[in-house]
Amino acid sequence: MQRPDWAPETIDVERPSVARMYDYYLGGSHNFAVDRAAAQAMVAAVPEAPLMAQANRAFLRRAVQFLCEAGIRQFLDIGSGIPTVGNVHEIAQRHAPDSRVVYVDVDPVAVAHSREILAGNESATVVQEDLRHPERILAHPDVRAMIDFSQPVAVLIVAVLHFVGEHDRPAEVLRTLRAALAPGSYLVLSQASDDGRSEAERAEAQKVYQRTDNPLWVRSRAELTAFFDGFELVEPGVVWVPQWRPETPDSAEDAERAVFLGGVGRLGG
Amino acid sequence: MGSGDSVGEPPDGPARPGAFARAWAKALAGTSYLPMTHAQLETLLQRLTDQLAAALRTEPLDLRAGHRVATELVASHIASAEALGRTVEVIQLRLVRDLDLVADDIADRMARLLAAIATGYARALRDRTLDEQEAIRRAALIARADAERALRASEARFRHQATHDPLTDLPNRTLFAERLAAVCTAHRDDVHRVGLCFLDIDRFKRINDSYGHQIGDRALVAAAHRLSRAVEPHLVARLGGDAFMILVERSTGTGDVVAVAESALAALAEPVLVGGHDVTVTASVGVVERQVAGTTPDDLWRAAGSTLHWAKSAGGAGWALYDAERDNREQARQALSAAIPGGLERGEFYLDYQPLTSLQDGSVLGVEALVRWQHPQLGVLRPDSFIGLAEETGLIVPLGSWVLAEACREAVGWSAATGEPPYVSVNLAVRQLRRPDLVQEVCSLLRHTGLPPNRLQLEITESMMMSGAEEPVRTLRALADLGVRIAIDDFGTGYSNLAYLRDLPVTELKVAGEFVRGLRAPEAADERILASLVSLAHALDLTVTAEGVETVGQAERLRAIGCDAGQGWHFGRPAPADHILARLR
Ligand SMILES: C[S@@+](CC[C@H](N)C(=O)[O-])C[C@H]1O[C@@H](n2cnc3c(N)ncnc32)[C@H](O)[C@@H]1O
Repeated sequence: MQRPDWAPETIDVERPSVARMYDYYLGGSHNFAVDRAAAQAMVAAVPEAPLMAQANRAFLRRAVQFLCEAGIRQFLDIGSGIPTVGNVHEIAQRHAPDSRVVYVDVDPVAVAHSREILAGNESATVVQEDLRHPERILAHPDVRAMIDFSQPVAVLIVAVLHFVGEHDRPAEVLRTLRAALAPGSYLVLSQASDDGRSEAERAEAQKVYQRTDNPLWVRSRAELTAFFDGFELVEPGVVWVPQWRPETPDSAEDAERAVFLGGVGRLGG
Repeated sequence: MGSGDSVGEPPDGPARPGAFARAWAKALAGTSYLPMTHAQLETLLQRLTDQLAAALRTEPLDLRAGHRVATELVASHIASAEALGRTVEVIQLRLVRDLDLVADDIADRMARLLAAIATGYARALRDRTLDEQEAIRRAALIARADAERALRASEARFRHQATHDPLTDLPNRTLFAERLAAVCTAHRDDVHRVGLCFLDIDRFKRINDSYGHQIGDRALVAAAHRLSRAVEPHLVARLGGDAFMILVERSTGTGDVVAVAESALAALAEPVLVGGHDVTVTASVGVVERQVAGTTPDDLWRAAGSTLHWAKSAGGAGWALYDAERDNREQARQALSAAIPGGLERGEFYLDYQPLTSLQDGSVLGVEALVRWQHPQLGVLRPDSFIGLAEETGLIVPLGSWVLAEACREAVGWSAATGEPPYVSVNLAVRQLRRPDLVQEVCSLLRHTGLPPNRLQLEITESMMMSGAEEPVRTLRALADLGVRIAIDDFGTGYSNLAYLRDLPVTELKVAGEFVRGLRAPEAADERILASLVSLAHALDLTVTAEGVETVGQAERLRAIGCDAGQGWHFGRPAPADHILARLR
């Protein structure tokens, strides 16, 4: 008998997970030997990798801070990862205790860990889903219970889109999400980019990415900007993440070394 | 700022970051992810700077301050080997200078404070690392347990789907077969008995036809639930359609299983209300009960199937009990009918003939062809043991064609010493008569053999003509137009409606043997009936042949009545053609 397609997969912690590798870059210990080995291989090829992760995480923090100040009280963080430090709900609930946050990730270990962290938090929850099935995320009862889609919502897809290739139709995914949002909602995106790199560098990076389980789909600034279709980009638009509303002028120096482009868009109307 | 840091009086409230705190913050940048703004970091470090300065100034030196500062750094996620190195470096290089700390033993104090910071930091970092490792390991375990639970649940769901009927959620044929096989392999001793009830709702199609499939389905679901409740704890499976099977695993005898069948029938007898309709159904049940040893699931299925068939053909709304003898008989018949085509192919059939003798002059007017089967195992079989079967299965068509062809082939060679050679009379089955190509077939037979049409007689039964259908009548007319004789066989056993004979191209009536047997005493009722039958037939221009004539007396009376011909032992038993022909010469 053939296994039907709704049968779940088992957990394999013998393979590196991008969520735990990312934790390692950020200096966390929520990772296993396989993850560290993979992350170290990456660092050997791309020495800036930890800095990239830090810069991206700092962008996320500033973006959430910005959204809190803009009055957003509902957050849908897709590809949320291992809750290391500076999680969206910590930032948002410090700003406004009634803020509600739903974390979504495909990685079952990341989800289990998030669930432990969030135990007892009435205003935050986590669901295991795939960004590539936005309709399932939107229809998920736990998502529906936490988020009122008639009110503005911030959708965060930070450092995730480079795991979604064109064959998974990212533009369509974003359209589906956008259709569910009320006016005044926000979209936060960041992802790896090869803008401004030489052909040689590109080829080198490509080789590294190919070796990992999750090939990276780097995109140009124009491509990332196109994902904001239907949203109005807030200042300064799609930029290298350190350049996005930096706290100190000098923290935006050497910004393109961050490799990540990011931006925030607002749904008008 | 910066130079404003005073050694003597630590300021009240959060101090503005001084030069040292700013330098420290800068040194920490990039060591790991710091979940705070740069300003927040500087504020934090200023507070820690103050604590360090206070410790350095206090007598005796309080090393716990070094531990506290280190612990707080790690708790604030300034937690990496690099952060420690930079911290030690910046404190060693700048703290004394930036804060204008002066004391004789400052170098000594600084060394001990740094040692305390490094120790406290390493401890806190180690604890943090261990906690995080434990947390992620726990998360992995939980995730794995969740995934396995989900897998088991999906397997259970998958298994359930594979073994249950989606409409009623009853076990399906697969599950039933598994359980039955388990019972049959587990208890091969001489105590265990097992029973099956094969239940089928009578004329269920009518419910679908009159209320629609939706109501039909809902009625089925209701029936299924009643059934399984009524016969609990026995396994009830839906085999598909309106057929259900009940397994009685530990029967102590026929009575147990019959009782289950009766509960099942009783449960279905109550009408169900579906979609505003009171739907009433009855069912038939085939009951099989026997010792486990010596039977197989296949045997049981088959026996239950035959028994259900008996219950159905007995009119439904009840149960039938398996009867081995009856089953054997039916199986033998089944086997026999399956052997007919092979028998035809191998030439196992042949014809005997029985004379139809004139009562006026004793001449042989015709002969009836009677088919025989030289069965390789069973010996010579007479038509009554296989014609019925052949009619049921449709094999009568090829068999009948063979008889017709064989009779024509043999008859064409016959000659008589005086007058016409006898005609050959062949029985025709309903199915043959209904075939559109019968006329064509007879026509080409006559042409090919050269047999004159009037030497072929086809015998049909009166019931064949009673259906009122046009088609057979048209076929008969066409045959009669060819010049073929048509006889009504077994006349008197059916409706014996003479009226329709007027409209049919019939030439002869063959009166059933029953009437002839009644001709014992003169003036018996049967004789009067026969006499009027004969005169009526003559009035319609039909000749009359009496069948089953066994005695001289009967022959005498029949002649007296005016009957034209006789057939029966008195005139000659069925025999091969040459025996009969020998009498003609
Ligand atoms: C690099 S981490 C980013 C974490 C967090 N958003 C941040 O920026 O700090 C990427 C996360 O995305 C998750 N991820 C990758 N592909 C995904 C998908 N198709 N749907 C949902 N999550 C995905 C990974 O499991 C991982 O936890």
